[in-house]
This record gives sequence, C-alpha cells and structure tokens, in this order.
Amino acid sequence: MITSIAHATIYVLNQDEALDFYKNKLGFEVGDDMKVEGGFRWLTVYPKSKSQLQLVLAEPKEGPMFTKDSAEKIRSLIEEGAFGAGVFETENCQKTYEELVTKGVEFIQPPTKQLYGVEAMGIDNSGNWFSLVQR
Amino acid sequence: MLAVFIAFNILANCKSPLSGVIFYMGQEVYFMATNYKFERLNAGRDYIADNYQAPLSLSDIAKHSYMSPYHFLRVFKDTYGETPNEFLIRLRVEKAKKMLITENLSVSEVCEKVGYISLGSFSSLFLKQVGLAPTLYRRKLWALSTEVCRFPSQAIPACYAYHFLGKLAN
Repeated sequence: MITSIAHATIYVLNQDEALDFYKNKLGFEVGDDMKVEGGFRWLTVYPKSKSQLQLVLAEPKEGPMFTKDSAEKIRSLIEEGAFGAGVFETENCQKTYEELVTKGVEFIQPPTKQLYGVEAMGIDNSGNWFSLVQR
Repeated sequence: MLAVFIAFNILANCKSPLSGVIFYMGQEVYFMATNYKFERLNAGRDYIADNYQAPLSLSDIAKHSYMSPYHFLRVFKDTYGETPNEFLIRLRVEKAKKMLITENLSVSEVCEKVGYISLGSFSSLFLKQVGLAPTLYRRKLWALSTEVCRFPSQAIPACYAYHFLGKLAN
C-alpha cells in the first residue's frame, strides 16, 4: 500500500531564481540543497506545515533523459505557462493572496468562489501556474 | 479563539436577518486569529532556522512568538508535527550532513558550526538520526562519489539519479 507522496517535480528555468521565489515569496522551507556528482543540484522545498511532500525544483537540461532540443522545448513550454506547479492550500485565500501580491507574486485570477472553496491562481517566476485554495 | 468562533456560529444559527452577517464575521475573526497565530509561530520557527548555530533555549525562541514556552511548545507541535527541539536537531543534522560531504572541515569544526559544544553529544546525536557516525558517513559517501566534495548519486532517489545523471543505483 502506498502511504504518501514524498517528492513531486516542478521544472523551473533557473534554480537560484526559483529558490528565491518559493522561499522568500511563498514562504517555503528548503528541504535539500545538495551538489551531486555530475553537476546536478538536488533542490527541494516544502511549505511550513506537517506536509511530507517536497517539491523538487529541477532545470530541464540536456542529459540522459532530454536531448538538447527537448530540454529547450520544455523550457519554452514552461515560459508559455503550459505546466502547473499544483495546488497550494491556505486557511485564508484572500489574506494570503494579498500578502503574496504585496511581495510581487503575479496572479492571473483573484480569490474566487468555486464549488470546492475559494481559489486564486498565480504564476511562479518561471511561468508555472499554481492554485491557492481555501477549502 | 475557538470559543469565540463557536459563539459566532451559535449567533449565526439564530433565525435572524443578521445571522449571515454574523456567521461571516465569525469566520473572519477565526481566520484573522488563525493567521496571526501562524505568523507568530513562523517567527519563532524562523528564529530557530536563522540561529541554529547558537545555543537556543525554549524561552528565548518562545519570546519571538510572543508566547509562553509551554504554549509555544504545544502549538508548535500541533502545527508542524514536531517539537521546536526536534526541528532544531533535524536542521542541525541536515546542515552537518551537507558540510561533512561538501566541505573539507574536521568533524569537530562541523560540530561547532552547527551549534554543538560537545563532540561526543554531536556524534551520538548524528549516529542516532542518520544511522552512521559522522566520520563513517563522510567516508561512505565520499567513497561512492566520483567527484571530490560532491554527494554521490545514491544520495538522491534513484528515479531522479537516472533521469538527470543516467545512473542506476549499484
């Protein structure tokens, strides 16, 4: 039986800039920031809560999995907003939205009532969309 | 605060034209209080994260959250699922692991840099948390890595190691 999700990947354009966004704007904590052989940087963040899920901030680069061409295509798709970072939960969508806007986070939809709660939609500094939901 | 929220809900359940407004006000008061509590807690948590290298006492940390030590301890555990001390130990051990692999410092220097005075206490704690003594941890991971002062690919989940490095665990 699978009991939980430990890691999920968000592809970002630049790990330093993504770290600044997720740590200093969204208020996440850094899980791992390790230099691994082969020049790979293992970088994870997670919200300050009981959450066990860590988000892996990874750059699509030419390597074993991606050709140069596919890495460039993925970078281009990130910038276009084709990927989503997922859904982040909050106890008060309006207040968190206002705090994040003050910090310079870009939103494409302000807090709006939905069937499942109140939701705002934002974009990280790579172009990934995310939802901010109050259930 | 929960009592205030319940009181607002009782008032909201009365068949009064104002009940909707009262319910909304109750929710707002509850959310404001919850956010305020979380912000204060985060201030204490950030204080630990920013000062993990120094000796920290529960009362010092609690002051940054404007709470009594006991209340801070209880609310911190309820919110984050670990005590402030468990969080501090986890942070120190993670920093130590990183320093042991990526920096050429002695174990004593690492011990001091992460806030421990006694090398014996640090080594015992590290062994308990990681399953290896600091020197053995360093020796094992350095032996696995093909590059100086870098973590081996085995230190990260194999699917990522294969995806980004083309390596399968031995």
